[in-house]
Amino acid sequence: MLKYIVKRFFLMILTIFIIATLTFFLMNAIPGSPFNEEKTSNAVVQQNLEKHFNLDKPLPVQYVLYLKSIITFDFGPSIKQPTETVNSLLGRGFPISAELGIWTILVALISGITLGVVAALRHNKLIDYTAMTIAVLGISIPNFVLATLVIQVIAVDLKLLPAATWNSPQHMILPIIALATGPMAIIARLTRSSMLETLTQDYIKTARAKGLSPFKIVVKHALRNALMPVVTILGTLLAGVLTGTFVIEKIFAIPGMGKYFVQGINQRDYPVIMGTTVFYSTFLVMMLFLVDIMYGVLDPRIKLHKKGGE
Amino acid sequence: MKKWLMLLLTVLFAFTLAACTATDSSGDGDSDETETENEDNSGETNEDTSGDDVTTLNLNNGQNPTSLDPPKGFDSASWNVLNNLMEGLTRLGKEHTPEAATAEDWKVSEDGTVYTFMIRDNAKWSNGDDVTAGDFVYAWKRLLDPETASPAAFLGYFIKGGEAFNKGEGSKEDVMVEAVSEKELKVTLEAPTGFFTHVISNPAFFPINESVATENPEWFAEADSFVGNGPFNLAEYNKDKDMLLKKNENYWDAETVTLEQVHFAMVDDTNTEYQLFESGDLDVSEIPSEMSEELIDSDAVSITEQAGTYFYRFNVTEEPFQNEKIRKAFALAVDQQEIVEYVTKNKEQPAYGFVSYGFQDPSGNDFREQNGNMLETDPEKAKQLLEEGMKEEGYDELPEVTLTYNTSESHKAIAEALQQKFKTVLDVEIGLENTEWNVFLQDQKDLKHQLSRSSFLADYGDPINFLESFTSDSVMNRTGWSNDEYDQLIADAKAESSDEKRWELMYEAEKILFEEMPIFPVHFYNHVFLNKDNVSDIIRHPVGYLELKWASKE
Repeated sequence: MLKYIVKRFFLMILTIFIIATLTFFLMNAIPGSPFNEEKTSNAVVQQNLEKHFNLDKPLPVQYVLYLKSIITFDFGPSIKQPTETVNSLLGRGFPISAELGIWTILVALISGITLGVVAALRHNKLIDYTAMTIAVLGISIPNFVLATLVIQVIAVDLKLLPAATWNSPQHMILPIIALATGPMAIIARLTRSSMLETLTQDYIKTARAKGLSPFKIVVKHALRNALMPVVTILGTLLAGVLTGTFVIEKIFAIPGMGKYFVQGINQRDYPVIMGTTVFYSTFLVMMLFLVDIMYGVLDPRIKLHKKGGE
Repeated sequence: MKKWLMLLLTVLFAFTLAACTATDSSGDGDSDETETENEDNSGETNEDTSGDDVTTLNLNNGQNPTSLDPPKGFDSASWNVLNNLMEGLTRLGKEHTPEAATAEDWKVSEDGTVYTFMIRDNAKWSNGDDVTAGDFVYAWKRLLDPETASPAAFLGYFIKGGEAFNKGEGSKEDVMVEAVSEKELKVTLEAPTGFFTHVISNPAFFPINESVATENPEWFAEADSFVGNGPFNLAEYNKDKDMLLKKNENYWDAETVTLEQVHFAMVDDTNTEYQLFESGDLDVSEIPSEMSEELIDSDAVSITEQAGTYFYRFNVTEEPFQNEKIRKAFALAVDQQEIVEYVTKNKEQPAYGFVSYGFQDPSGNDFREQNGNMLETDPEKAKQLLEEGMKEEGYDELPEVTLTYNTSESHKAIAEALQQKFKTVLDVEIGLENTEWNVFLQDQKDLKHQLSRSSFLADYGDPINFLESFTSDSVMNRTGWSNDEYDQLIADAKAESSDEKRWELMYEAEKILFEEMPIFPVHFYNHVFLNKDNVSDIIRHPVGYLELKWASKE
């Protein structure tokens, strides 16, 4: 096990290094500069700005500086918000995005699994159809449409909850609904289909024959196996939701970190692009690693330290 | 079977409940940075909104200010806030002209190059310190320091020695701004600059409390350490989230200020902003573009002029626009009135010149009205000019023309209207192309477009700011157009000490620009806002800053 973890750790470092290098050269390859503006003021002012942010140095030197900033995890000041460091932007955005993300994942997991299990147990009955209709709707309605809709209906028309901004627990409910619906639907469908498959297996019949309670059969025997596909997508889902989503955060005016992914690229704010990419990829790689460990916990047949651990 | 279902449902219910109630505590625990802030804030803001005796104006700033460090926050998101937290020597009044502010009065030398400002005795910083001439010297030299890398530094080039210092050629000591005494500031300019008192109303010229800034270079970053001298104080600042401004009792003109508090939300999405306005959380809102037709005529709408022009650039180094007549043919085919009426539908003024409305010459005439229409929609003449131009160049068929704009629905609508117009009037099929914003700007700079969308927003309130864009060496030019006479007129206008003559030169310059037509204008910009009935006197200056000094809410 330890050997496996060490091996994975070095692979992770390598992955992140490759991502970082690719990002650096790609972002320098796209045309444009952070100082391109409609009202470009003055050549001297531009030179001073370039010098200030080390952009006047040759590319290899910039690359070395960049690698240094990754190793020390200090990305320096943002170009477009010159009195802020990238670290402080991520530092205040991430906790908010993560908080929203955790609740989103919890809600999506619990409601998704419940819907899936119920639908599978009542296969081809009314409950099944209802649950799957909800799931299909959830997958097909884009979250920004749902977001605008819930704001209009629940906040503006019914005045039940605040429309946007980020102040109290009530403010979280609408964005959670908007964000969790999609993942919930995916999880529900995955759970249902693998649950259906598992329920027809011989060992479930055996368990029934032994006279185990239905609850025990479903939760202890069937669900544990049926959850494998859900665990597989969980890693990517977690990394995506926890680091914030641009559209939902914009619509609900949530001060998370989602916007930096998009703004950074649009404004060619190189330190912000570096910071967000390295942060996100590190996070994603770690989540995938966690998921692999989870496999082992859920299904002892999967041996991590032998081949086929991935 | 039923038993376990019930159990599962109960578990689910318990979890969701927990999710709802637990957020409160986790909010404080998770983000250790804001831990303490969160607590006292939620208490305070609740008080503010529930206590009816305090009037709070609820505004939206759209996004976090780029920076509250005056020379660094060079955009409207920063100015909207800064202009109300601080004050320069002059302040733009209700009519958008500079008025005495931190400076009580000033004297101008006969040749117009030396300004002596007398700072008010009762001009105080919010921490109680006196605002001194030294604070201005410190701030202005810092603005020009190449180390500061301020995007606004070029505004300081009017000051003698400013440009050289910013270029790294001169020294700090040679920048001709000095404190004659504690309350007297002397500035020597490169050339007589009649609008200098307007330029220095820009936040880039705000004073900085030197002792505060030396002690804590990051003084502007937090509400606790922020020291201003304007009508309001920064009471709370949650970055990316919101800020609360409270009336500054130390302000020299505090009795004029009636608002007690201003709350700035930072909502980037216009639809959400409008929904918050509808639900009563905001007092002022922009209009979402899809709803502009519905809302633009309502009583709640206020429309003010903005100093800026939406226009198109020809590239005079590319075929077929090296030919003046062909450029004019395209320009005269455009129907500005039709575009504002049926395409943008935002009540803009159609533009028939480059300098927008709102600039008065010494005899009180508006620049735009005085200089008249520089071009007029004329399909017949356009057709004729195209024919003549093609003959001059020996074209049997016009080379292919592509119009480029940056990706956005509103730009696309105008581009399509133009395409249609060129087809019907000139019988020319042009191609449309859109690119991402930054790529677009890069290509425009490198003169890779033939005909491209552009806009200009003024930095300060003088027509010269518009016109200097098209001198040969200006980075704003981006047309390949160059005219010695034009360059000379602009240079002369900048050096001219007589205001009458200066305006004559500027009128002349604009005429030359349109004689050769390297650009064609579409419309002037405006600010369109929805206001709640009980809100009045929010001033938006054409040069882009928000003024709340006189605002009130009943």
